[in-house]
Amino acid sequence: MTAAARIIIDEIRGYHNFLKFMIGLVVLGALASAVRFVLGLGVTTNLNDVYPWGLWISFDVVTAVPLAAGAFTLGAIVHCFHIKKLEPLVRPAIVTGFLGYSLVSVGLLLDLGQPQRAWHTMVYWNVHSPMFEVSMCIMAYTTVLFLEFLSPVCEKFGYHVPLRVLRWLEMPLVIGAASISTLHQSSLGTFFLIAVDKLHALWYNPLLPLLFWMSAIFTGISIIILEATMVHRFMGQPDESELLEILTRILPWVLGAYLVVKLPATFLLSHGPLFDRPSLLALFLAEIIIGVIVPMFMFMKKACRVDQRMQLRGASLVIAGLVLNRFNVSMFGMEQPDQLIYYPSIIESLVTIGIIAAHVLFFVLLAKYFPIFEHHPETVDYSIPDHARKTAAGDGHTQAAGAGH
Amino acid sequence: MSSLPVNFDTTKSFLIDTTKCTGCRGCQVACKQWNQLKAEDTTFFSGEGYQNPPLMSEYTFTRVKFKDYQKDGQNEFAFYKEMCMHCNEPACASVCPVGAFVKTAEGPVIYDAGRCIGCRFCMIACPFGVPKYEWSKAFPLVRKCTGCYSRIKEGMQPACATACPTAISYGTRGDMIKEAEKRLKNRPERYHNAIYGKDEAGGTGILYLTQQPLDELGFKPVTKRSLPSYTWQALRLVPGIFLTVGGGLSLLSWFTHRKERLRREELFKNSKLPAETTNVETKEDSP
Repeated sequence: MTAAARIIIDEIRGYHNFLKFMIGLVVLGALASAVRFVLGLGVTTNLNDVYPWGLWISFDVVTAVPLAAGAFTLGAIVHCFHIKKLEPLVRPAIVTGFLGYSLVSVGLLLDLGQPQRAWHTMVYWNVHSPMFEVSMCIMAYTTVLFLEFLSPVCEKFGYHVPLRVLRWLEMPLVIGAASISTLHQSSLGTFFLIAVDKLHALWYNPLLPLLFWMSAIFTGISIIILEATMVHRFMGQPDESELLEILTRILPWVLGAYLVVKLPATFLLSHGPLFDRPSLLALFLAEIIIGVIVPMFMFMKKACRVDQRMQLRGASLVIAGLVLNRFNVSMFGMEQPDQLIYYPSIIESLVTIGIIAAHVLFFVLLAKYFPIFEHHPETVDYSIPDHARKTAAGDGHTQAAGAGH
Repeated sequence: MSSLPVNFDTTKSFLIDTTKCTGCRGCQVACKQWNQLKAEDTTFFSGEGYQNPPLMSEYTFTRVKFKDYQKDGQNEFAFYKEMCMHCNEPACASVCPVGAFVKTAEGPVIYDAGRCIGCRFCMIACPFGVPKYEWSKAFPLVRKCTGCYSRIKEGMQPACATACPTAISYGTRGDMIKEAEKRLKNRPERYHNAIYGKDEAGGTGILYLTQQPLDELGFKPVTKRSLPSYTWQALRLVPGIFLTVGGGLSLLSWFTHRKERLRREELFKNSKLPAETTNVETKEDSP
């Protein structure tokens, strides 16, 4: 045992200081969540009967879910729309998605008053509840992402039979992922449809679910750009900006479509005064201009699309706008004029920072130990040395065994 | 959402005539006694005006709000009993992922603490801010007025209605609305011409008569539509969207992969003849 521990400790010693810092943040977050369970939600958070939902719901769930939308978006683009060139981006996106959803589940469990009863959603169905729908979808989709994530794991350990099965499941999983994601990304918007008299008219309109879904798509694409650029800069992976250029060509269309739905929905379908609260109006404008209009015009120019730095800036703007949008809907827009302002407590902040750090940390570690980036399907031999497959001669089952990257 | 009575005229309702309320707060005491709720350590003027405790909470399911105003140069009080509205179509019941809230056939909206997972969606959804959380506990649950369901089942009236000397009438919703309309008609000078709760949130199990306009008393302006209908108009599309997206993408993939598939079949056919040198992969750019 000690020998094994020694090896692990030595391994961790060898990590970059940044990773050690991330480990520190994750440990802090874990301690903070332990404190939450010992002392209770009321003492450790700034939540109360006026603000039943705070940072953990607004960021860890409502914002983190669209931030993890890269996997389903790219899966659909690559496999359904068949833009195979982008294949090298898929695997990192799946890892990001899988980590994202796992951490969403962690955040949700921390926020529940009775996390040990989370399984109740599977037993006591209430199909009228958007929360029921979202929890079922998140469970289903985390499973899908886990299966997709198993591919690099099986490659690493050379499990050929499961690889075959996973390969065979690829398309069903991709299509399942897109359908399930469509449902829960939009249903996160449905959450707030019940808050008719609470959510401000700038955000409350019946098309909120559709807007949530569309913004998840452009955020998913932007997250992939951000992640690929970061990985190129800090993890010594090849420059993928040529592939990212394809994604930046898609972005203005989605952003434009979003505006085409959002502006009429805001001005025609909302009920209640739109311009009665200047601070909310400023937040609304910031979200629209920074997060949608500016990046849309940026990516309409070829010069911006091909420049790696502009790609990163545009994508970051989209992401910042999305984060602001989700906070506007789930927090700022829900605050009534005469209410005290909510701000997260130290424990709440530590937990959320820990969750973000855990995402970065696990991503780097997974990339370190599993073939995440080296995925070039044409070089991987999925065949197993069996003779059961009758089509063997023509379908990849040849002497190429062992050619896997 | 089970056992939804369709005819809400027969469900039990409160008619609270705030013009008759003396502000004795007997209802608050009776509620605490029947539900065995802890007393709260409060200070005077901790909320708006004279009311005490300042807000409903996990320990206080009902309370009388004091509203002071001036009439003919005199300081006057208006009182308004705050409690669960026991909506006909409750928002809390519709959003709860585990169906912990149920609108009973008798009228009260009751809560099953054994099911609750503590997500607090009910608190977000309730337009009246009724469900309260046990913030003091490590594993909290939701608390709210039960409409004294246990008493009603035994043929008794709710504790607060029993204790109230003047203002609360209790009976079927149809009768209570008739009674309220009669009072409005007989003494129009006494009342503001509206029954709060008749149409609010699609109709509630608590009906209020007031002297002042409702907003002056601190009644929240609430939509007249039933709240679950707002989310259901989106949620009902879920199966259709699932099938459309899934089917659409499958179809799209079938077409986009068609060329590749045809080529592979071609290769397979050819390979039947000389099966030796076909080092062919499934991708286009294979050697």
